[in-house]
Amino acid sequence: MSAVDVLVVGGGPAGCVAAWEAAAAGAGRVLLIERDRAIGAPVRCAEGVGGAGLREFLDPEGAPWVSRRIRRMIIVSPDDTEVRLAERGIGFVLDRTRFEPELANRAARAGAAIRISTEAVGLERSDGPGGGRWRVRLRGPGGEETVTARVVIGADGVETMVGRWAGLETRVAARDMESCAQYVVGNIECDPDAIYLHFGPGVAPGGYAWVFPKSPGVANVGLGVVTLHGDGRTARQYLDDYVARRFPRGTVTGATVGGIICGTTVKRTVADGVLIAGDAAHMINPLSGGGIVNAMKAGRLAGRHAARAIREGDTSARNLQAYHDEWMKPLGASHLMYYKLKEALNKYDDDFFNRLARTVNRIPPDKRSMARVMATALVHHPSLLPIAAQLFAREFC
Amino acid sequence: MPLAVGERIAVVDSDVCDACGLCMPLCPPEAIHMTRRGLVVDAAACTGCEKCIAPCPVGALAMADVRG
Repeated sequence: MSAVDVLVVGGGPAGCVAAWEAAAAGAGRVLLIERDRAIGAPVRCAEGVGGAGLREFLDPEGAPWVSRRIRRMIIVSPDDTEVRLAERGIGFVLDRTRFEPELANRAARAGAAIRISTEAVGLERSDGPGGGRWRVRLRGPGGEETVTARVVIGADGVETMVGRWAGLETRVAARDMESCAQYVVGNIECDPDAIYLHFGPGVAPGGYAWVFPKSPGVANVGLGVVTLHGDGRTARQYLDDYVARRFPRGTVTGATVGGIICGTTVKRTVADGVLIAGDAAHMINPLSGGGIVNAMKAGRLAGRHAARAIREGDTSARNLQAYHDEWMKPLGASHLMYYKLKEALNKYDDDFFNRLARTVNRIPPDKRSMARVMATALVHHPSLLPIAAQLFAREFC
Repeated sequence: MPLAVGERIAVVDSDVCDACGLCMPLCPPEAIHMTRRGLVVDAAACTGCEKCIAPCPVGALAMADVRG
């Protein structure tokens, strides 16, 4: 039976950065396992990421894992009215089949071992001198084996098995689950430097549809719906209807589906010798559904705190709690605010979004900053006031 | 409580399922498991609550009668 100090379960952005950070912080032997045959594939993601958050981890300039640089955001109302927001460097559309391997390579250079085609199938706690250990059963190409670990970082996505095994409450209410479907669509006409976000309950109830360019004429076209708010169609049926209407001559060359947990961070992200990070801990911006940068930030914290706890010789939940607190201070709290905003927006119908889009379009394009958009929207649509009040109360109180 | 014959449980159509795992955290008794052959519902643990059915992005889950 082999022994490691930190076992990271899951080779997505949270797990790769956790392994990278733990190894760099001197946690000792760090092993990252990924169930799939390739790190970064299959892609279950729209691949959009904000520039500022990304740059905290990797330099995107000229990087082979960037598909497109994004310069504009275009909000589309249910009746297809487009609102172009002021041009500025917004972010990037990634090629995640290359992005995650880059993160994994950084982890390996910092000293972590990486194993693909290997899954965790169960955890068992054993107490002993010098603190407890987890005995983790792994299944890989060579069969089953048991590995002991001082700290297990569960970065295993929406399934979040590590959290379950450790007794953490990670179940999701149906109203907080966005069911997503996405196609890679070619031969389409759209601004290759812009991301499109298409709102309205007729388009994507409880969520939105997106068009994220991969190259000129090719984009990830997808949507997320909360089926509780829908009319009985599945996410893929909503998408088929959307693509047929918006891109009738498009060519579908790829398809994916998945779930985005648009709630707030789980109440407990730590147990004795266990940290959970990223989607597994519901660390997703519930309004945008954005999870990549959040996952990397959580992975960085998890890796650091795992290394600290090992150094201190105390991997108890009580000593790991600082991870949870450090996440909640800036990020958990802002996600709570976005969650309230999302819940409030769910009350509006297509007609409201159409009128809002036309109001905002009266602002000259070069002055269409987020603050100006908000101010104008409030003057003409006072029913938005309670939402804004919630936002600002959260921000300043 | 184990289900009796005649009650209904969720079943996965493995030809349609994409193994995305979305249904797993929705299941109150945590009865849905990922296996090498895709997602499976533990018939003994399923309570027939139907919470997993509608959210499946591809409609791979459906209710079926418990067979004796």
